[in-house]
Amino acid sequence: MEVLALTLMAIAALLSTLATYLAITERDLLTAVIYSALQSTAYAIIFYLLMAPDIVLVYIPVAVGLYPAVFIVLIKKSERYEGG
Amino acid sequence: MSSDLPIIAYLTGIVVISLFVNMGISLYGVFAKPSLIKKLIALTILSDTANVFAILVGYRRWPPGSVVRPPVLTELPPTPEKIARFASTAVDPLPQALVLTAIVIGLAVIIFLAVVIMQIYRTYGTTDVRIISKLRGERR
Amino acid sequence: MKYERALIAAAIIVFILVLSYAVALGAMGAALPPPDLRELAKNYLKLTINPWMRNLTVMSPEAVTAIVWDFRGLDTFFETAVLYLAIIGTVAIYRGVYTSRKTVAEDEEKGGMSPIAKSVTKITLPMVLAVAIAIALHGHLTPGGGFQGGSTAAVILLLVLVVFSLHFSMHKGITKGSMLALRSTGLLGIAVTSVLVLILGLLVGCQAFIFQNQPKAYAPAGLPATLDGMLISGTLILFNIFECLAVAAGLTLTFILVLTHEEEIRSAMKGDKHE
Repeated sequence: MEVLALTLMAIAALLSTLATYLAITERDLLTAVIYSALQSTAYAIIFYLLMAPDIVLVYIPVAVGLYPAVFIVLIKKSERYEGG
Repeated sequence: MSSDLPIIAYLTGIVVISLFVNMGISLYGVFAKPSLIKKLIALTILSDTANVFAILVGYRRWPPGSVVRPPVLTELPPTPEKIARFASTAVDPLPQALVLTAIVIGLAVIIFLAVVIMQIYRTYGTTDVRIISKLRGERR
Repeated sequence: MKYERALIAAAIIVFILVLSYAVALGAMGAALPPPDLRELAKNYLKLTINPWMRNLTVMSPEAVTAIVWDFRGLDTFFETAVLYLAIIGTVAIYRGVYTSRKTVAEDEEKGGMSPIAKSVTKITLPMVLAVAIAIALHGHLTPGGGFQGGSTAAVILLLVLVVFSLHFSMHKGITKGSMLALRSTGLLGIAVTSVLVLILGLLVGCQAFIFQNQPKAYAPAGLPATLDGMLISGTLILFNIFECLAVAAGLTLTFILVLTHEEEIRSAMKGDKHE
């Protein structure tokens, strides 16, 4: 059972690395925000498997709710595509 | 139990090294990408990864015979046996309290930075640091 | 072009798998979670609720909330100050911008998103607010607390601001002034609760210190740990209530400022004063 918990943690960590790479190398900033939210969901799964329920309850509204909202308003009021 | 040791070391190594790779990629994103908004996204990923490292320090191996639990005592009213069993199967509560503080401070900084970036766009007309640095303070 | 990115992503994942295999064989010292906790962690876990050590305990079964608001209460006080300063900075940048509330009455229902989005938001608004307040009020018994409840409430209030338009929400009472008043009430409550036991101790005539929660051996003043048989853990429940109020109102205030229309901000930047 310990191996099962650690396996799920390893899968979530690999998913978060994939999402981070896709977020940083994406030219369309709106898609980059969606990849960053996917990475935050993977981190929330890691926090849950590390037995930290207080942190999960802070992290999900902040990183999946507030950060993408701020970024989307910011992108709407400035540029959508990264230049250069 | 001890025959699982290489597998447990392998899986823990995967988690730790992929978090290090996350830190590396987001650090590259902070200083190499020319758009201010992309730098902000990379900064959030960097600070979140540092928080995951702090919580990972508080984890422990499962004690033989029972699962590991969050640091919340669920069997009330407490007796000395329940408290002793709780202290031997729970994870460390101190990194979680410190990371709670760190997440809220990160939120405050990111929200303020987003407002400043909006104001930079209104003043200079672009969010590309190469163009802004060449303008040397003249407004558009 | 797309194959290039997929190839690099696959190469990164293979790199991680191979390198962690090398680490597991002992290359840089194998990484394992430790088999037992540190002594400091065991002390915190033994002291969160311990009726036999009455002068060292917090009387709250939730160890993380006890550390955040009692054992290391000053850290949390300064963190609340940092959040307060960031919001004050945002309000100062938008000083002079008037978010107009003028709309003709029949335009109010036409603004915002489609009726489907509005109906769904109307149904989920009381549900999410109830969950947020429950998370905040039960912070000393279950995982939760002030920040968790406050940020959940801020998310649903942001959704209300976006789905019904900003003008309609300001017409219905979610304005800058009301959010500033609620946030100031929350911060005042936190400040008063932190010196509450100090004032009570000074009035009675015994020693007390700032951020005190339970009576100690040398400072016998404190708030009760149970009320009518229910566990309230002294100052923890008051801190959670006020912190939830302050965080939810502060984040909603930030979003009201950020969502203001561009014409109003640019006219304030050009120097037109609102009459």
